[in-house]
Amino acid sequence: MISGAAYGVVLNDARQRERLAEAFCAPPYRAPPKAPVLYIKPRNCFRFGGAPVPLPPELAEVEVAATLGLLLARDLAAAEPADVWASVGAMCLAIDVCEPHDSFYRPAVRQRCRDGFLPLGPFTASSPQVGEIITDIDGGEAHRWSLDRLHRPIETLAAEISAFMTLCAGDLLLVGLAGDAPRARAGQTVTVRARGLPSLTTRLEAESEAT
Amino acid sequence: MKRARIAWEGRPVWAQVIEDGAALRLPHGARIDAASADWLAPTTPGATAFALGLNYADHSAELGFRAPQTPLVFLKAGATFTGHKGTTPIPEDARQMHPECELVAVIGKPAKRVSRADALDYVSGYTIACDYAIREYLENYYRPNLRVKNRDGTTPLGPWIVDAADVGDPQALALTTRVNGVEVQAGTTADMVFGVAALIEHLSEFMTLAPGDMILTGTPHGVHFVAAGDEVVCEIEKVGRLVNRVATA
Repeated sequence: MISGAAYGVVLNDARQRERLAEAFCAPPYRAPPKAPVLYIKPRNCFRFGGAPVPLPPELAEVEVAATLGLLLARDLAAAEPADVWASVGAMCLAIDVCEPHDSFYRPAVRQRCRDGFLPLGPFTASSPQVGEIITDIDGGEAHRWSLDRLHRPIETLAAEISAFMTLCAGDLLLVGLAGDAPRARAGQTVTVRARGLPSLTTRLEAESEAT
Repeated sequence: MKRARIAWEGRPVWAQVIEDGAALRLPHGARIDAASADWLAPTTPGATAFALGLNYADHSAELGFRAPQTPLVFLKAGATFTGHKGTTPIPEDARQMHPECELVAVIGKPAKRVSRADALDYVSGYTIACDYAIREYLENYYRPNLRVKNRDGTTPLGPWIVDAADVGDPQALALTTRVNGVEVQAGTTADMVFGVAALIEHLSEFMTLAPGDMILTGTPHGVHFVAAGDEVVCEIEKVGRLVNRVATA
């Protein structure tokens, strides 16, 4: 159903921003972020139906950040927050996989855009009521977070992005990542679940195994 | 061969550029004058678009940076692309918006862990991008940030894709930008820090490139701020001439 781009946003976790408040004012940042800090997950990242995530041998572990993906059904441009949900056609759980990195200075394409680094769960009808997003690793709970932690709630986030670029019908918007997202290694199975949404399970596989 | 994507009878079609650019041949053989074409960006839906920052040493120096040790890669998507003879909106508060003429390599077959020596075999063609930036909106988070580089209509692309075989060495092409007829950028792709082959080697080392993916290879020096009404022409030897107009948002 994704015919366009997948956009994600970092530094949208209020707790993480609080923790980084001092760093934001030091080099290389020199000022706290003003606009939403976006990144793009290209099509080679997408994995559906529980397909495994290949991990190259040099990556001992990766961050597995559970989040919510919103599929746009209508273009969203110069929108007000109150208009946002009317343009969202479906939603899904997602695992934004990345190589852990501390710096937010340069786009993290190498860290975020490897093949298979965006497993997506089945789409379901959208609803603003999303419960806690829980991540299990090998069957044990490893992390849980609530979207109440978002610095910009979904409506504000999408509206502010739409002020400078159109979120197009067919695009996916990942609404934010927990600053304390867990890490996992090759061989481990990751499940993400939330009330009212189809859950998503994937396995991290050493690259030779998966290809 | 040159292939252009145009809107024709309500749908996007790929047309062959003929008669030295004066005409286009439509998929079923009909001919139209190039002057009457409704040009679209020559993109493949869903394809990945990579762009390079600071990939010419002289441009890095001009902006106060040292040339990077590894390619400074960012991504573009969606509504940022616009076709030949399109318009690019300039926001009312933008005083520092500048065009950047760039050679674009188009990938022709899946590329994973490709060596520099083999990399050009994976390029099917080349086109031109004018990768506008608005410096007021730069922030030091995933810089250059999308508010600068992924605004609607701020990446004119085209007018067509030229077959790689017709271009030959991608590191020996003169490129220029003219604003209202005045040259504001003049460089050569020979001055890239990371050439097309090196970029394909770099990207394909950690991800698979697919047919239709594009690499916008960065721009040489020459920061010139534009205003609404300006005509911007980016030209690259052996590839073509991309025309764009800046318009009030």
